[in-house]
Order: sequence, then C-alpha cells, then structure tokens
Amino acid sequence: MKLLSPTFNSLEQALSAAALKQKVHSSNIANVDTPNYKSKQVDFQATLNGVLNNQPMASYKTDAKHISFGNSSSHTNPSIKVNNSTQYNTNGSNVDMDVEMAELAENQLWYNALTERVNGNLNSLRTVINGGR
Amino acid sequence: MSLFSGLNISASGLTANRLRMDVVSSNIANANTNRAKLVDGEWLPYRRKTVELSQMGVSPFEQKLQASLNKGSGQVSGVMASHIKEDNAPFVQTYDPTHPDANAEGYVLSSNVDPVKEMVDLMSATRSYEANVTALNASKGMFMKALEIGK
Repeated sequence: MKLLSPTFNSLEQALSAAALKQKVHSSNIANVDTPNYKSKQVDFQATLNGVLNNQPMASYKTDAKHISFGNSSSHTNPSIKVNNSTQYNTNGSNVDMDVEMAELAENQLWYNALTERVNGNLNSLRTVINGGR
Repeated sequence: MSLFSGLNISASGLTANRLRMDVVSSNIANANTNRAKLVDGEWLPYRRKTVELSQMGVSPFEQKLQASLNKGSGQVSGVMASHIKEDNAPFVQTYDPTHPDANAEGYVLSSNVDPVKEMVDLMSATRSYEANVTALNASKGMFMKALEIGK
C-alpha cells in the first residue's frame, strides 16, 4: 500500500523547482552590475510539463502488449535558460531589476502555497491515522 | 538542490557591493591626496579606483561561448570582485607656483577623483546591496517555511 498519494510527489518536485527559481533570481540580482551578464530564467513550462508527465496515470490494459502511458520513472529536470533577447544596460548586462523583484516575491508566495498544500496533505493523512479523531 | 546556495549567492552580492562602497569611500577620502605613490623620486597624486565585477566561477571564454550558442542551461552562480582597477583619466592640473609639490612650470597635479561620479557609484552600490538583502530575506523566509512542513 502506498502511504503517500502521487500528488505528494508532484508537490515535492514543484517545491524543488521553486527553490531552483529562487536561486536563479538571487543570482540575477547579485550580478546586476556585472558587465556582460545575461539574465537567466527557469523554463517554467518545461517544469510544469515535467511535473504533469511525472504523475503516474493508471492505464486500463486488456492485453499484455498494450503500452502503459505516463512514465513514472523519469525525473523532471527544470532547465535554466539564458535570456539574450532583451535590451542591454550600458554595461552590457540585461538584468531588469523590477522584473526580478516581482518574480522573487511571486516565487516566494508560490513556495509558501506549496508548503501549505504539503502540510494539508500530511494533516489529512494524520487524521486518517488517528481514526478521524 | 538546496536553498542554502541561494543564500550564498545573495551573500556574495552583499560582499561585492560592500567592497564597492569601501572603494568609493577610499576615493572620496583621498580626493585631495597629493602624495599617494612615489615614482622615480617624485610623488604622484591618488588615482581613482573602481571595482571590476565578474560572475563567480565562470571564465571569460565560457561566457563568450554561451553568449554565441545563445541557448543551453546557464550556470547559476554568485558575483565576485575580480580586481580593483585604477582610472587612467589625467590628473587635474592647477597653477600654484607656491605649492611645495608644484613642478618646474608651477603646476600642481591633484587626484582625478570626481565627487559626482563617486556619489553616483555609491548610490548604485547601496541600491544593489539593498536588493541583495531583499533576496536574502526572501530565501530565508522560504527556508523557514520549509522547516514547518509536517508540524
């Protein structure tokens, strides 16, 4: 019997994606005055797809030759993209401080929300373990 | 994947900007220094210094390569002060034959520090420092939140 639901796994991976995002934004903010630094960002769509694809889906098999879908084994790896497209500052770096700060705040909220959900999951599990008491 | 390295990245930003502030302070303090360096028996005035920042642990070749490839996973790292450069702008000359440091023509050389430039650099360093503090606090808040999992 599996104690934790697949949702728990997804939440965990989303948490590490948020941690990586935090790291990338920290790096962008630290390097705002570095000449020729190009800002980086975490490819969120790839992360999301990775998390969604990673959810093990139950496939109804009537024949042994049927291929099961939903690969539960692959581990999602959010990629870091270098942004070379935007306008540069005079020193050649293209860090937009406003965007970085806004995304930092957003990411923090997202992380907190995920933590709440993990706690919620654990709490419902605890309720079950205690027999509804 | 750890949150702690995020804290280290912000800390490197704090260190680099603190150094920039120190160098600006040194420039302002020495704005009137006429005898900073002895070259061939003659005193030279103070030269303005600037901090050169670079990405931590990334060689210039790697930077060029990544820029030309225009793709791939970028390396996430902090910032460091690679070296302190001297400003090669000419010294300010004033005519004062009575000054002890005046040369044969009666001109006195004084440092090439421009207080306006220094103040702009100081503001820039201060703001970057504050931004790094904000990022550090955000990382810390997230880490504290993660510690609450399962409570």
